[in-house]
Amino acid sequence: MTAVALAATEPKRRAAGNGDAVLGVLLVTPIILTMFALVFFPLGQTVWDSLHRINPMQAGTPFIGVTNYTKMLSDADLGHAWVNTLIYVAAAVVLETVFGVLAAALVNQVRVGRQWLLAAVILPWALPAVVNAVIWLWIYQPGAGLLNGLLTSVGLPFENHVWFNERTSAIAAVLVVHVWRMMPLTVVIVLAAMQTIPEHLYEAARIDGATRPQMFFSITLPLVRSAIAVAVTNATVAAFNLFDEAVVVNSSSLDTRPVVVQIYLETFQNLHFSYGMALSLVLTVISILVSAVFVVRLYNSTRLE
Amino acid sequence: MMKQSFGFRIVIWLGVALLLLWSLGPIYWTLASSVTPTADFSARPIHFFPQHFTLDHFERLLGINVDRIGGVQVWAQFRAALFNSIVAALAATVLCVAVSALGGYAFTRLNFPGRKALFYAVVATLAVPGYAVLIPLYRIMTGTHMVDTFLGITLIYVSAYLPLTLWLMRSVFEQLPVSLEEAAQIDGAGRLYIFFRIVLPLVGPGLTAAAILTFLGAWGQYLVPLVFSPTQTKPLTVLIPEFATKNFIDYGLITAAGSIAIVVPALVVIFLNRYLVTGLLAGSVK
Repeated sequence: MTAVALAATEPKRRAAGNGDAVLGVLLVTPIILTMFALVFFPLGQTVWDSLHRINPMQAGTPFIGVTNYTKMLSDADLGHAWVNTLIYVAAAVVLETVFGVLAAALVNQVRVGRQWLLAAVILPWALPAVVNAVIWLWIYQPGAGLLNGLLTSVGLPFENHVWFNERTSAIAAVLVVHVWRMMPLTVVIVLAAMQTIPEHLYEAARIDGATRPQMFFSITLPLVRSAIAVAVTNATVAAFNLFDEAVVVNSSSLDTRPVVVQIYLETFQNLHFSYGMALSLVLTVISILVSAVFVVRLYNSTRLE
Repeated sequence: MMKQSFGFRIVIWLGVALLLLWSLGPIYWTLASSVTPTADFSARPIHFFPQHFTLDHFERLLGINVDRIGGVQVWAQFRAALFNSIVAALAATVLCVAVSALGGYAFTRLNFPGRKALFYAVVATLAVPGYAVLIPLYRIMTGTHMVDTFLGITLIYVSAYLPLTLWLMRSVFEQLPVSLEEAAQIDGAGRLYIFFRIVLPLVGPGLTAAAILTFLGAWGQYLVPLVFSPTQTKPLTVLIPEFATKNFIDYGLITAAGSIAIVVPALVVIFLNRYLVTGLLAGSVK
């Protein structure tokens, strides 16, 4: 009976298979068009143009090889921006991971109203980055700001302290805004992994007399390490791409300027189009490489334990 | 679940309090400041709770009884920006979800040459940040006269969020049992009929997650509209920082505008949190 039915549908299926192919191509055509016109083609052009001199203020677009790339090595402002970006990346990844994992473990212990707590934790991530930045800009305000108000209320002489007068505190200020926005993502990713850990593992550990910190380090942490790796990758790429917070909080000041802001200035202020393109390619490649290295190292170091 | 000792519970509640303070404190401060009269901003020491309540900032922002602030029609700018934000984010969401639902279905269920290669090529662009294509994109948009148009900015958002929503939708379709569709096929139903009548009603949560991620992403964009939507289609995200950097710095206005920009994402997070978390996880676990 089944064999007969199968034999009967076989030619029909093959005909449908052909129709499927046509329909399939039709359905993905909008994707092909959009992605080629607005991503693949521009990306190819970025690579190609970065090897030319393209500047609306100068006639012609001669081929100049890797000059745009070698120029970067002697660009002092860019060097400064790189230092800033690397500080943002290192600090953001460490802070978001350490506090994100702790926050996830905390939320995982809450039994009543957990989804409300999670909603509150996610909220900063859901807001536009510039709104986050404006919120914190108001908090950092020298006179009426909340931060100085809090410090003054506990008796510290901070009433008119300006946080952006000094590089260290200016960078820290931008960093806090970024961590405030991106840490929720780490919490969500790690919490989801924690919720899949079977309860009986903890029961067994408890019977063996393990303390809660011991359970955290010997059960929870090893079992969420791949989730942590994913979270670290996301945090790394996000920190390399930091733009909105720095621009809104401290404009394009050299003290806090990350590489993406440098690209923006070179391109739209100095109109060094092809130099900006070369820069954006270097930043993209480095951000992908660094996040890959983080993942591999984290994986190796946790596997040995 | 393990029994929690009293001391342990104290630690948990302290941690929760700290976490809530960190997450919601800045938002509280913005909302509180937006209903504080300007005169109270100069009080020292500052008050952590508003001493007087006013809707003055919102009235000025929305042009109720006030026409110009410092010679500028702020309310006209604000209303236009709010409108622009809503239009661009909604258009991008609808288009992105529609295209990725149809495409995601094709990538999962319909066999056509180059299917796998194309899918991975599109998803791989998740690793390409927007600024890497910004300049050629600017030339394309200028060449086609789409700078500062809704069509232009919407298409850019779609190209930016399509890889993520496509990835999400394909994983949703993959989880559906094929048997249902095969049964319909044997009954003689066409592919599109199956897609719209049988498959689509089953993937509501996936569509919602894709829509939320696109909407929040497009709603919060700054660098892209700064370049591609500078005047006519300028969204809230480009307007609000201008309040803080232009000649008059009016924190009442800034916090009121910020509060309004917070409302939409806050509603999404409160009411659609489950779908948002699903989407975030599908999107991040690559």
